[in-house]
Amino acid sequence: MSVEFDITSEIRGNNLLLKTFGYINNAGGERIISEFYKYPIGGLDKIVIDLENSKVINSIGISYLIEMIETITSNNCKLFFTNIDPTIEKTFKIMGIFQFAGKAESAEAVLANS
Amino acid sequence: MNNYLTEQNNVSKLSLQVESLEEGFLKLSGSTSLKDMAARFSKILKNNFVSDEIYMLQKSSVSGIWEPMNGESIDEASVIAYLDQSDYANISSFPDLGIVAAVALPLSDSSSLGIIIKQKPGEIDFSEIDRVVLKILLQVFDSAYKSFMNQKKEKKLVFDLNEKVFQLNNLVDAAIELSRFEKRNVLYKLALERLSTVTNAASSLLKISSFRGEQDVYYTFPENIEPESIISNKFCIQSTFTYKGRDYTFILSEKEKRGGATAFTELDQVLLDAIKRQVSASIENDDLHKQSIEKELIEKELGVASSIQKQIIPETLPKLEGYEIAGTNIPSKEVGGDYFDCIHLNDGRYALIIADVAGKGISAALLVNTLNAALYSYLEFNLPLTELSFKLNKLIYRASPPDKFITFFIAVLDPATGKLDIVNAGHNPILLLKKDGSVRKIQAGGIGLGMLDFDLEYTGENLEMDRGDMLFLYTDGIPEAMNISDEEYSEERMEAFLSEHSSKPSQQFVSELVEDIKSYAGGAPQSDDITTLVIKRI
Repeated sequence: MSVEFDITSEIRGNNLLLKTFGYINNAGGERIISEFYKYPIGGLDKIVIDLENSKVINSIGISYLIEMIETITSNNCKLFFTNIDPTIEKTFKIMGIFQFAGKAESAEAVLANS
Repeated sequence: MNNYLTEQNNVSKLSLQVESLEEGFLKLSGSTSLKDMAARFSKILKNNFVSDEIYMLQKSSVSGIWEPMNGESIDEASVIAYLDQSDYANISSFPDLGIVAAVALPLSDSSSLGIIIKQKPGEIDFSEIDRVVLKILLQVFDSAYKSFMNQKKEKKLVFDLNEKVFQLNNLVDAAIELSRFEKRNVLYKLALERLSTVTNAASSLLKISSFRGEQDVYYTFPENIEPESIISNKFCIQSTFTYKGRDYTFILSEKEKRGGATAFTELDQVLLDAIKRQVSASIENDDLHKQSIEKELIEKELGVASSIQKQIIPETLPKLEGYEIAGTNIPSKEVGGDYFDCIHLNDGRYALIIADVAGKGISAALLVNTLNAALYSYLEFNLPLTELSFKLNKLIYRASPPDKFITFFIAVLDPATGKLDIVNAGHNPILLLKKDGSVRKIQAGGIGLGMLDFDLEYTGENLEMDRGDMLFLYTDGIPEAMNISDEEYSEERMEAFLSEHSSKPSQQFVSELVEDIKSYAGGAPQSDDITTLVIKRI
């Protein structure tokens, strides 16, 4: 089923910035994780996911984020979310995402401290 | 001596390897995935045995196919056949193929791990000690794998529990948000969004069925998906409610799981039905709210209309020597446009007026106000009543919307002589009750004021009131007053009352007439104004 979802990625120093566009469901989650695996995790300090253009996420999408968090954490890297919609933020709290990932006002705020 | 040295060597080698086993177990237990675990185990094997060629395979079930775990496959049929038939951790070698160890290890979840170690010619032999170490390492892997699977189960359990909380929270939030919407399209989009997230549907749709020839309306989530692709999908659940002749059908399409789709569950149907009911209730509440606001506005309007009417209708009537005069106006709940008055003219005569505006509410009250102002103005000039009516007709025609007009009756009485100049402009017949009991119906005149603007002339009539005669002016609210069986009071009953009570003083006559009407209505709501003006020559 073709549902528009898009993602962009950008390396800034030792950090990776991902920006998502659209519904983070199975298809969206798969796109995020495959974009993430394009980069060698060993060389990264921080990964920032900008959710400004994603207002909806389901639990399948969250399971991909959890997989990402597990990989990142075991490699001494840290994940941050920015521009989180209040509904998604509440969902992340319930699903325990913020136990292993941070949130920030903007990607710049996270990357400025690198 | 040689044997002793060899044994000592073996012992120290073993003890070194045993020390690394605990470390190995910890490393394997910390794996994030099976692939990660295979990579870590491969590294441990390479550290323990002098070999760069270690193949790791996994078979998901007894009847499954061996798949490479660390990206390197091996296709020697005899070795694969051996792995298939091998008992628990029974190590074999295939010297011709350079394989020093091949072993299959059944794992706790019915899958199997296959290990193949190759050595190049000239490398140190795979010794008996190495075989023992390999067996121990396989046991370490087995334990670590069990631990990994338990962790995975725990994580899944936590995730499933969190997901249930997420669903419950979503449902509660949806109920709150859906009851607060401002526009219906926002309500529909929000409902679809919530439905999709709470059930993991890949997409969802709301179809609002056509009504009176309109087209079906569709809303989808995500918004840019074609409705047909959802409707035609085989893996759907749906729920419908009907409101005001329209069917509202919610369809959820393709329940997602990681990497594919699965069947919707009973819980999904329960969640769908719950959110559907919330949308239905929200629409109904919205309608009731709008009706309530509309009602409030109407009540305000009626309040204004009522105050206008009260200002126009006289609280007291003039006293005419030799005459008794009485009148009343009892407005219905919906303010009507009834009007009566008795105006003392500058030549000593009196104008007796009764009128009824078609329609109710503020527009009717304003039209009565216009009539009242114009009447006072024209009566100053002592115009003939036919000319006065002609002018009033033109004025009201211009001042009123097409559906509004006024039925109007005017009689100018010379109290000294009892002579009456009369025009009836479309009003119901006014009754002149003679002392001898006969009744004269006065209907000559013309069309109602403001009905047409064709320069139609009005016809006047001259009558005379003798002592004991009574002129009875009324609006249709009297004969058309309803009882609880929707039967009218009727003109016959009204005329009979007149004949029977005309000898009574005017004020008493009016009071008893009102009582008779109320008694007839028997508690039925008053549908129209009740207005009368009675003048009796004594």
